[in-house]
Amino acid sequence: MTRALSPSRFAPLLTSLAAIAAALVLGGIFLALRGKDPLAAYGVLVSRGLGTSYGITETLIRMAPLLIVSAGLLVSLRSGVWNIGIDGQLLVGALLAGVAGAAIAGQVPNPVMWLIAALAGMAGGLLWALVPGILRVRWGLNEIITTLMMNYVALNVTSWLVKGPVKDPDVVPPQTRLISREMRLPDVAGTGVHVGLLVGLVVVVLVTILFRHTVIGFMLDVVGRNRQAAIHAGMPVNRLTLVALLASGAMAGLAGANDILGVKGLFQGNWNPGYGFAAFALVYLARLNSLWLIPFAYFLSFLVIGGEMMARPLGIPTYFVEMLEGLMLLCFAVAAWVERMRSPYARAEEVETGPANAGEPPGPLISEPLLEPVARVAGGPS
Amino acid sequence: MTIGGIPLAGFLTAMLAAGLVAAAPLVLAALGEAVGERSGLLNLGIEGMMLSGAFFGFTAAYLTGSAVWGVLAGIAAGSLLGTLFAVLTVSLRVDQVLVGLAITIFGAGLTAFLYRDVFGGQNPSLSLDTSRIAIPGLSQIPIIGDAMFNQSLLFYIAFALVPVFAFVLARTRFGLQVRAVGAYPFAADAAGVNVTRIRYQAALIAGAMAGVAGAFLSVADLKIFQIGMTVGTGFIALALTMVGGWNPYRILLAAILFGLLRSLGNGLQIIGVNVRTEFITMLPYIGIMVALALLAGKTSLPAALGVPYARGRR
Repeated sequence: MTRALSPSRFAPLLTSLAAIAAALVLGGIFLALRGKDPLAAYGVLVSRGLGTSYGITETLIRMAPLLIVSAGLLVSLRSGVWNIGIDGQLLVGALLAGVAGAAIAGQVPNPVMWLIAALAGMAGGLLWALVPGILRVRWGLNEIITTLMMNYVALNVTSWLVKGPVKDPDVVPPQTRLISREMRLPDVAGTGVHVGLLVGLVVVVLVTILFRHTVIGFMLDVVGRNRQAAIHAGMPVNRLTLVALLASGAMAGLAGANDILGVKGLFQGNWNPGYGFAAFALVYLARLNSLWLIPFAYFLSFLVIGGEMMARPLGIPTYFVEMLEGLMLLCFAVAAWVERMRSPYARAEEVETGPANAGEPPGPLISEPLLEPVARVAGGPS
Repeated sequence: MTIGGIPLAGFLTAMLAAGLVAAAPLVLAALGEAVGERSGLLNLGIEGMMLSGAFFGFTAAYLTGSAVWGVLAGIAAGSLLGTLFAVLTVSLRVDQVLVGLAITIFGAGLTAFLYRDVFGGQNPSLSLDTSRIAIPGLSQIPIIGDAMFNQSLLFYIAFALVPVFAFVLARTRFGLQVRAVGAYPFAADAAGVNVTRIRYQAALIAGAMAGVAGAFLSVADLKIFQIGMTVGTGFIALALTMVGGWNPYRILLAAILFGLLRSLGNGLQIIGVNVRTEFITMLPYIGIMVALALLAGKTSLPAALGVPYARGRR
């Protein structure tokens, strides 16, 4: 027990790595059961994903939106807010960024266009998070359901807009006007990776600074860890909740703008990258630690890109990677339990009363009553 | 009198039938979810359980040519994931939202992967003999008869389960234990109720019902499987459970209203009212949010919803 009494700060990382390893083994067993060679599959994944410059370039390009989205999700989860509407916020942000960017492209210097498109994207994501935010702080509606519902509304609203009001009239398929390649984000010198990756890294650093060095970040953390304590300390809990949700929505919108400005150049009607679920896996594997998002984002986008490259030669559907993400989260759940059982608090926690989060990593791994905001409205708002 | 070239009576029958068929899987999933939530379990994995029920139900029905085996496979898939949910949230006391989302992601990936792998690029449909069962007499009632009493067996079962669940929750020992465990597990434990066992049973019921609901979609209703075919139906069922205040009859009412809202949109299109499909498909999702906002504070949640139970811990 002495070793456990002074746990290394990297101990939580081991939990994540164990979860990833277990998920890869389970996924491999699954492939073998389906009559495929898991070693060959993982071999292709590594050799193409890490061994080719194409694989590495694509991985780094994919990393940018994942970093931005997961940094946003981290802000909301650290604040005890379940933003499950990332995908919808990203879609609306991407659409607005595509429209705004194409409208002014060529008429203003490119950097100005990028800035305006990025702001439009953030505004879109923020707007989409505003509805659940208001429902939560005004009516006490839990954001889990509302953010989920807003995803499906976003799918339909963007699909309608791109077929009608904002459609490029010169082409048949439903899409916004193209931002030509030379007006998109430039590559980092000497690479094929656009500068969106740098934006992603900056966002992660900013979120790290937010939680380490600012008062608002501290208050968000307190709200996330113990809402009652935050209320008793006189913190503006409702406003902080709203801020966390809006910030996370704005970042999802920024990630959408990033993909439009850096990769796609236009918004297509059937485009739905579905980064939200990957972001969940990412944020938990990084143990809600913003700087750890960087290596895990690289790993997850490596899996996605490698999975795409693995599909053709080996006949393994790309959905295998989505399944792996689910497996990683499930294994993470088990690994987090093992970690808790090994912690010095565990034994004490079983016999005497203690804080609900004792021995837990920051964030809502073991939650306070989930729907308590609704219940509290019944007995008078906080 | 005709409407859009269709006789009015036939049009109304078709609308009502479409609404009820849309409501049936929601009723099935929401009834199970109600038991789960009453016992203190918020199951966000319901979407993945439904998808799994739809896929394994479809595949079993496709391979055996029997709808019964399809439905049983759907139940089995949902039950397995429900048990997994219970192991992780009840025994290991990991956060329910995290586990639920993990199951939903896993279910989506697993079913999409297997569908592509098993059926190749093909999109087969079932050629089953799921003949409709017309109830003598009742099915002759004008307009509503054909919509309500000329449907598949699973359709009748879905609606027949409403009073069964209402009775079990309100009037039986098991129902009382479920509610006690969800309201105040410490008192229930002290009174000799096995909290863990009740929550496992509730999770199993929630998973099995989500599985049946999925099988209803793929086997009884559409006769096909599509990747991600539930498009949030599971989450809607979860929301309807809350809208219905965990009361099976109110859940039934909410689900029917919801189904009719959906078929109303399609009906408007058929009769030539110029509405975009997108507005129609998003109506139900907005309806849910409006309903929840209107009901906010008027329903009382199971007090221990989402809270893991550890004996002796506060």
